Amino acid sequence: MTALLVADGVCVFARERIVEPASLSLHPGRPFTILGETGSGKSLLAQAIMGTLPTGLRAEGSVTIAGQRLSLASGQAHRSLWGRVISVLPQEPWLALDPTMRAREQVAEGYGFVQGLSEADATRRAQDDLANLGLARAGGMLPSQLSGGMAQRVAFAAARAGGARIVIADEPTKGLDVARRDDVIALLMREVAEGGGLLTITHDLELARRMGGDLAVMLNGVIIEQGAAETVLGNPQHAYTRRLIEADPAHWPDGQPRPATGKPVLTAEGLGKARGGQRLFSGQNLAVHPGEIIGVTGPSGCGKSTFGDILLGLLPPDEGKVQRAEGQPAIKLQKLYQDPPSAFPQRITLRRAILDLVKRHQLDAARIEPLLERLRLAPELLDRLPTEVSGGELQRFALLRVLLLDPVFLFADEPTSRLDLITQQETIELLVELARERNCAVLIVSHDTELIRKVSDRQIRFGADRPESPSGDQRMPEDALA
Amino acid sequence: MTTIAVNSSSSVLEQKRISVGRFIGFTILAFIVLFAFLTPLVWPVDPTKQSLRNVLAGPSWSEPLGYDHLGRSMLARLAAALRLSLGLAFLSVLTAAVPGVLLGILAAWKGGIVDRALSILGDVSLALPGLLLVLMLTAIAPDSPWALYVGISLVLWIEYFRLTRATTRTLITSPAVQASRLLGFGPAYIVRRHLWPEISPMILTVGAFGAATAIMAIAALGFVSVGVRPPTPELGLMMTELLPYYEEAPHALLQPIVVVFLLVLSLNLIAGRKAR
Repeated sequence: MTALLVADGVCVFARERIVEPASLSLHPGRPFTILGETGSGKSLLAQAIMGTLPTGLRAEGSVTIAGQRLSLASGQAHRSLWGRVISVLPQEPWLALDPTMRAREQVAEGYGFVQGLSEADATRRAQDDLANLGLARAGGMLPSQLSGGMAQRVAFAAARAGGARIVIADEPTKGLDVARRDDVIALLMREVAEGGGLLTITHDLELARRMGGDLAVMLNGVIIEQGAAETVLGNPQHAYTRRLIEADPAHWPDGQPRPATGKPVLTAEGLGKARGGQRLFSGQNLAVHPGEIIGVTGPSGCGKSTFGDILLGLLPPDEGKVQRAEGQPAIKLQKLYQDPPSAFPQRITLRRAILDLVKRHQLDAARIEPLLERLRLAPELLDRLPTEVSGGELQRFALLRVLLLDPVFLFADEPTSRLDLITQQETIELLVELARERNCAVLIVSHDTELIRKVSDRQIRFGADRPESPSGDQRMPEDALA
Repeated sequence: MTTIAVNSSSSVLEQKRISVGRFIGFTILAFIVLFAFLTPLVWPVDPTKQSLRNVLAGPSWSEPLGYDHLGRSMLARLAAALRLSLGLAFLSVLTAAVPGVLLGILAAWKGGIVDRALSILGDVSLALPGLLLVLMLTAIAPDSPWALYVGISLVLWIEYFRLTRATTRTLITSPAVQASRLLGFGPAYIVRRHLWPEISPMILTVGAFGAATAIMAIAALGFVSVGVRPPTPELGLMMTELLPYYEEAPHALLQPIVVVFLLVLSLNLIAGRKAR
């Protein structure tokens, strides 16, 4: 089997070397996946191979594409290959499509300008491609009228239109829920089955597992492990790979669900909410008992975050009502946000933000120190701005901030969806431990059903497909996702 | 996460480093301010005192900038004119910025009818030609600097209002502000910690541009003899008065021109967009 693409000793330099020499070969019909966390250098490696490094960075080594050997040090030779031989499926394609152009035209551009077909031919070929991907009727639509999954397929068709056999997919599942992720995997696998070359860059362990083929694991700019996906994932040699696999929620130890006891701290009766003329849910009942962990899952757009916001009183319900236990002020209900950097004032240090809170409620500042230690946060971090600490650290600061107020109920809205697997596990473990310690009820919302199953005492499922609810008192909304 | 941390810390450094253009702007402005306010202390000459013996005399050791067509000290007049222009510009920027920012925050915060009403008010004020408004006010109250300054503020506040409103609108719906509210913080805290740090750098920029506009407007009105009346020293008026003598005493005519140029240049350098 001849390789479509061979990378030999590819490394990337900024001021110093940030990606160590890496070699890989991509075979037709066999996907190659580079797995690594944010900042591991996996995207830089792919950009070096593709010849699209941002300015300020330079690469060394060589790449052989379709029998043609290119030296990366010069950095010019790639241009003639772009679109014709090698192409990129961009991250979050709904942002990469031109919002003012109809889907068919965007695909036809590849045929017209790269392959040089006449306009009529290009349009016909574009329509055929869209029809092949089940988008026959979407040709005349603007990107804003497409769903996330449809946009992904249009972008895929556009990336392929130049006739490229090698596709580099950069984080193809970023920002997608589970159902959409399965669609994307099917789409990519179809390409592979037709004998194309596919290089996928991802932080998503599940995606890497499902793609199969060859796998390289990257850490701090070094490929630490490389081989067939089953071998690497089935019998990992490197400690980091083992740690990564263990951090997958599917491998977490099962939690010990506790029965709900005590008087409810928060009760909701017959909650209903519609958005944009569409009913998200109705007739939702919930009683939150002290210290219990309630998991909420469902596809994106099903209203699970809205449900939490209504419980906190951030949004008014269309019907029904929410009642706090007597004597509980609103301040005892708190929220953890999905994107930690956007949940802090941007221009003041964390110390300032936390001391402001202490001053506002006349809390005991001496409690900060032990909490920092408990959350494994270095005190020096307090003097940084929110943008200068990592996402995992910042989420723990957010936890510290709400714990100072001794909350009785915490709504955690996808608290780890922007974090890497290992950081996710650490954060969730701390959240659960501290909630148990302090008898604080947690409503945790996540699209990850495994995660929810492992940590929660009981679950609520939003969105239609499988209504199931252990406590039996929740009625599920009809298909909320359009 | 490492690359992200590195990138963000380097961008913070860039923000803290003051640009060369801005530094030059601040230096020129500092010299002009020092000149305007120190001159009467070290050179106590009445800017309106005439001495016809010295008409249009050139610079000398006893009178470094020479005399104008009525034998008045150019140095004293220039300093007095600068104090007037700087004072008026500063005052009009302040009176435009304060209500502009406050109303902008109010409109974005309350939304609905308040937002609509204030936005319409802004649009209406903007639809009136600014210079016409100032001319009308000076016609009602001739030779009074306050009419100039009220007129200029009335035109300038809209910029601050629109800018503040647009920024506040996005900030107010952000998770950060929602989190602060949940944590029990009131509006004052949200303005101080969330809004002001984001708005203030923009206000400095717009304020410097606004001051330059105000100085030009005052000078332009003086030049067409609508602003302050003689014998008050004013940069635009000085140009008009000295224009007939450009051949005999070019140095005298050039002085107010150079000063206006330097003043506006310094303010524009301060306001100037950061090179990316």
